[in-house]
Amino acid sequence: MRKKTTRKRSSRFSLVRVVLLAGLLLTLSLIFLVATLGSQKFGSLHRLVIEAVGPVQKLVAAGGASIGNFKSEYLDILQDVLKVREENKRLLKQLQETEATLNRSREALATNASLRRLLEFKNSLNRPMIAATVIGKDPSVWFRSVIIDQGSSKGVAKGSPVVSADGVVGQVFTTSPNYAKVLLAIAPSSAIDVMLQKSRIRGMLKGTGELVYKLEYILKTIEVEEGEQVVTAGYGGVFPTGLPVGVVSKVIKKPRGMFHEIEVTPAVDYQTLEHLLVIEQQDLSELKQVEKKP
Amino acid sequence: MLVLSFIILGVLLVIVQTTLCMPTPVWLLAPDFYYILVGYLAYRLDLVRSLLILLPLGCTLDVLSGTVLGMYSILCFSGYFLLRFASDKLPVHESLYQIPLIGMSYLVISWCVHLLVHSLGIGELIAWSTWKMVVRAILVMVFSYPLFLLFDLVRRNAQRSFVPWTKLRLRADNRRRPQE
Repeated sequence: MRKKTTRKRSSRFSLVRVVLLAGLLLTLSLIFLVATLGSQKFGSLHRLVIEAVGPVQKLVAAGGASIGNFKSEYLDILQDVLKVREENKRLLKQLQETEATLNRSREALATNASLRRLLEFKNSLNRPMIAATVIGKDPSVWFRSVIIDQGSSKGVAKGSPVVSADGVVGQVFTTSPNYAKVLLAIAPSSAIDVMLQKSRIRGMLKGTGELVYKLEYILKTIEVEEGEQVVTAGYGGVFPTGLPVGVVSKVIKKPRGMFHEIEVTPAVDYQTLEHLLVIEQQDLSELKQVEKKP
Repeated sequence: MLVLSFIILGVLLVIVQTTLCMPTPVWLLAPDFYYILVGYLAYRLDLVRSLLILLPLGCTLDVLSGTVLGMYSILCFSGYFLLRFASDKLPVHESLYQIPLIGMSYLVISWCVHLLVHSLGIGELIAWSTWKMVVRAILVMVFSYPLFLLFDLVRRNAQRSFVPWTKLRLRADNRRRPQE
């Protein structure tokens, strides 16, 4: 019974305390509010509050920034990596396409330049010619010949001279309606009537199988200089006179024999043989014209 | 079918050799694929079918290469018979000497044919150069193994018939059935 009365008294006391405290706080707040609204001053309480809240705010802001950084550094990077990969693939494909186009353009330019030179040469000769392209090369080590993509149907005949923009290449060896085999001037079975351009001395140009000719039947009494131009002599009417053949590169003077041993470097670059011209033989073209007339 | 496949393959090999393997007209390192085919025929195929294949092969080579007609046919046939004879007579196990023998026979036959053409005066050839021919023989030996694999593959496929005759075959009804 006594215990009950004591508990009741203490709870009543605590209620009074709470009411008193609340009243005090309300009053203080009211005073603070009135004072603040009235004076509009950033008082010491405000400063205290800001000092207390500031660090927490700072900490939270830093945490937020860190989370943002983490997201941008790791999660976004992952996304970026995927994007970059796609972009990389696209750019690589684009680069390959561009390179292919560039190569095609380069090839077209080189072909254009080569054909232009060939056309100039053709115009300078003023004789009927057939343009041809090398499609196959003799793989043996004993012969030197090439196959071209023009044949008897276009007027290519056995024995027709074959030239490039640089000079004499060889002679047609055999023909079929659409293709022909050309015996290169470097073949050992090839022999062309030539002359030294400066001294007008005639000789026989023979192939060696290598990238050099042999000039035969030039008498030792004749002075031959290295660097002298060798051109076709035009004997027999097969090759037109004055076509460049090569340049004298070596004159070997032997004590025995009647003739010089002369080496001639070809005017034609056999390593890059591609576009050729077959000179139509005059008698054949004349015959064709006669056939057409009636 | 087998003969036709090998004729087509032989012609293709010659075309590859005269185009892709020859960047310039004086290029040395063009392997003579045709001679590897000659070796394969000598080792693996019977005489009649081999001759049927060698005839157009030699003809194609004569057309696309050289100025002496018939020279490559001689080269192919003599190479074939030499290899066939050697593979029959040599006592060593076949696989041990197959590839070196192709290279050796290539050198010997080339030398004999060069000598023959030169002595008969049929046409002018570039002078014999041993080191060049040895290089070519080495190339033949190097390419022999992969090409033999290719030829084996072609042979296996060519021997398969287009029409599955075995499946279409009528079966007699008096076959032995499994006991139940």
